[in-house]
Amino acid sequence: MSGMSSPLSTRNIFFPAIFLACLGLMNIYSAGRNTPFDFLWVKQAIFLVIGFGLAFVIRQREAGLAFDWSLLLYTLSILSLILVLLIGKNIGGSTRWFDLGSLGTLQPSEFAKWTTLLLVSHIWGQYQPDRTPKYLAIAVSFIILLPAALVFRQPDLGMAVGFLPIFVLILLIRRLRFRSIVVAMILLSFSGFLGWKYILKPYQKERVISFLNPSKDIQGLGYQVNQSRIAIGNGGLLGHGIGGGTQTQLNFIPVKTTDFVFSVWAEEHGFIGVCVVLTLFGLLITRMLNIGMRAQTLSESYFAIGAACIFALHLFINVGMVIGALPNKGMALPFFTAGGSSTLAFSIVIGLLSRIQHRGVTKS
Amino acid sequence: MNPQIRWLIEKSSRKIKWLFIAGLIFNFMYYGYVQIFQRSFFQDRAENQAIKLRLIHAPRGILYDRNGARLVDNIDSYQLVINRDELPRDNQILISFAEEFGLDGDDFIEIVQSYRDKKSGVAPLIIQKNLTEPELALTERLKARFPFLSIENSTRRAYRDNELAGHVLGYIGEVDSRVIKKKGGSLRLGQLIGRVGIEAQWDSYLRGQDGAKRIMVNRSGDEIAILKEEAPIKGRSLVLTLDLGMQKILQESFKGKKGAAVVLDTQDGGVLAMYSSPSINPNLFIDRMSQADVDATFKNVDKPMMNRAIQGIYPPGSTFKLLTAIAGLEKKVITPETVFYCTGSKNFYGRDFRCDEKSGHGPISLTLAIAKSCDIYFYEVGNRLDVDDIYEIGNRWGLTIDTGIDLPNEKTSRIPNREWKAKTNPQDPKWYAGETISVGIGQGQVGLTPIALARFYAALANQGRPVTPHLYYGIKNELTGKIEMKFVQPAPPIAFDPSYWSALNEGLLQTVRSGTAVNIRLSDVDILGKTGTAQVAKFVNRSHYLGQAKSLRDHAWFAGFSSKDRPEIAFAILVENGGFGAENAAPIASKLVKYWMVDRPNLDRSTNLSLSSSDR
Repeated sequence: MSGMSSPLSTRNIFFPAIFLACLGLMNIYSAGRNTPFDFLWVKQAIFLVIGFGLAFVIRQREAGLAFDWSLLLYTLSILSLILVLLIGKNIGGSTRWFDLGSLGTLQPSEFAKWTTLLLVSHIWGQYQPDRTPKYLAIAVSFIILLPAALVFRQPDLGMAVGFLPIFVLILLIRRLRFRSIVVAMILLSFSGFLGWKYILKPYQKERVISFLNPSKDIQGLGYQVNQSRIAIGNGGLLGHGIGGGTQTQLNFIPVKTTDFVFSVWAEEHGFIGVCVVLTLFGLLITRMLNIGMRAQTLSESYFAIGAACIFALHLFINVGMVIGALPNKGMALPFFTAGGSSTLAFSIVIGLLSRIQHRGVTKS
Repeated sequence: MNPQIRWLIEKSSRKIKWLFIAGLIFNFMYYGYVQIFQRSFFQDRAENQAIKLRLIHAPRGILYDRNGARLVDNIDSYQLVINRDELPRDNQILISFAEEFGLDGDDFIEIVQSYRDKKSGVAPLIIQKNLTEPELALTERLKARFPFLSIENSTRRAYRDNELAGHVLGYIGEVDSRVIKKKGGSLRLGQLIGRVGIEAQWDSYLRGQDGAKRIMVNRSGDEIAILKEEAPIKGRSLVLTLDLGMQKILQESFKGKKGAAVVLDTQDGGVLAMYSSPSINPNLFIDRMSQADVDATFKNVDKPMMNRAIQGIYPPGSTFKLLTAIAGLEKKVITPETVFYCTGSKNFYGRDFRCDEKSGHGPISLTLAIAKSCDIYFYEVGNRLDVDDIYEIGNRWGLTIDTGIDLPNEKTSRIPNREWKAKTNPQDPKWYAGETISVGIGQGQVGLTPIALARFYAALANQGRPVTPHLYYGIKNELTGKIEMKFVQPAPPIAFDPSYWSALNEGLLQTVRSGTAVNIRLSDVDILGKTGTAQVAKFVNRSHYLGQAKSLRDHAWFAGFSSKDRPEIAFAILVENGGFGAENAAPIASKLVKYWMVDRPNLDRSTNLSLSSSDR
């Protein structure tokens, strides 16, 4: 079975990605109606066209992945993350964006995640999994944690968490044993405890408290998640249709074009709509993993699996957050959350994975 | 990639895949649980926050005088409220709002708590009425951070002429739980109802009925759509019998004086003017009063809150002699021709009773005794009567019962009798004949309200046909401008021998033509009346009078009607501690009669509501 492709694996990943992008665009249109974001969907559509355009171009190219450039790209990313801390635009208390004037804003951390993954896959792929030098794991950890720390400084806790799936690659060659997962979890909770005591800022602590008990104080910190849950529950099985969700259209859903965009979807399209989107993400991410399994080189494998893990983390954190199963953490839902930088990054990654798949198929 | 490594990768990837699928299944189940099993719970909450029940204030009816002059306005205003369904449970948020708005946090929480404890239905918590422009702008800014704030359209009651008819119109205020318990019905806590005067008496007419609407609101509380509306029923506008011109004469005349006056339409009992001095300004009661106003109103020794016209009980003095005369005639102790001899004083039961005319009036008839206000004559009549006789006749003429004026809290006038004394004075329950003599000249325990006395003189003007004083004249339809009149059922005439009439009438006429009030005589119209100077304290020697403190001076009265042949108005005027009635009360009557009988018919009545004489 290892060599032969299952029927799923042979299909390309553009189908679920573009399907999701269309649904997401429709959803942004509905969420933005009669608000200052009336034309946000147009902007999102433009970025989708550019992003997927680039993805197709990348897919068609015969040359290898940009691994040779990975160190340069990584260095540029680190520099841009430092730069954004110095001259970035402060919105809502955090400095995450470069102000590009009329072009809007650029969020370098959305790209840094992927350049980091690229570099780590490249370095990690140089060695046979069972012959990795001991020091390398430490070096790779540093490579991951440096941009994560810079992002954390912005502060953008959610985005910093987005770097963590790259650690999966270290675990991967340890055969992803159950024991190592447990050890990782223990380490994670220990660092969580330390983080709570010494690192987290009060507003971040408030978010965690608010997550733990959202209904305690309706107007206060749990307000957003509460409103989101009401909207999701109000959606019922079939939903209220585009423009029909009262909680959406009457602005009860907070930040409904970004963090809570999936609540809009759940209210207007109900459980059926939720199932459709989750299934499409299921297809997309399993296909990304399949691509990883069948990649030509080890680095390509690592990149594809790491990308799948980052996608999965975004999916679960966002979808789990809006329903109140996970802490209220700003993390984009790929192709649903309105935003130029993330949309471009997500679609370029789709292009890269399609290219890996393409090369794997043609070679075999 | 060698097969062993590929196998390793595949194995690990498959583990990730299963982990991922487990995560997906968890999300499927969680969303299914929330969207299917908890659906109705969340749908209720979605509806509760998007669909609100809101009050629509019913505009209160307007008040007009009989000529159509507006007495009160409803001015559009905005009030800052928090609707009950939006009131945050977290006091900290409320305190931070209060501080931003410039209120004391602790006080505000106390107010909020008492609102929470009360059941007032749809009624919101009113934070501030009559928002000024800067307050409105501040509120709009604060709404972003405190979305539970709402600005409500409302009206503010504004009384046009301040003190002019304060006691008559009264004012409105928030209903308290005591009144709700008593009246019940559709009243809700915090609703504005009439508290005093016409506003209170005709509240059910004026108030209308608040409506309600189910609206769809967005997160900021802005109304997006009306789902269902129950329109408010506007309050009905009342036309009052008051004549603003006459009311102004009273206000002018009472400047710097305490007292009260009532002018009645002798035909139907409509109150043409009613003034109590010091008056109140109803506008001061609409908002929270300043401490200075509170002190000036409630701690004032002059008791401005009392409507002296219907609540002040005063010894009527000589104005009461007409009743004594009627009692004497009815009880046959005198005839219209009876003459007594006045020597300036007379001893009854061992005590000297004096006449104001120290040298005595000599032989004096009933008519002259009225005109000259001879005390001796009425001592003689009183001496021949029993106090229960006087009470009986007084009762017949309506001086021991409420007049029935449509104002709240009227006080009942009092004429003493044996039963009354036994009840109120158990130590000395016996009635002495000497006391009857005092009652005969309106002293002793006789106490009348100005309105009761005015009503008595209106009945005299009508030769025994009594009237019921009232302020309600009709309801004005604000759309068509038409007025629906109210016709007062005339009361049955009092049993009264008309042969007495000319003697009494002549007495009242001569009072002004040649008697005690000759100073107010008008050239073109007759005033018929009776002066009165009621003792506040008893003075053995009247010459001490001028040295007395003002509060111990006599009350000045003048009561009567005009004109002679076709009486139109009857009045009673009291100036507290005013001294002699003829000097201090009677001139006011003269101005009233001149206005009504001489000046008014010549006024341009372009604003007249065409209340034609047919309805009188």
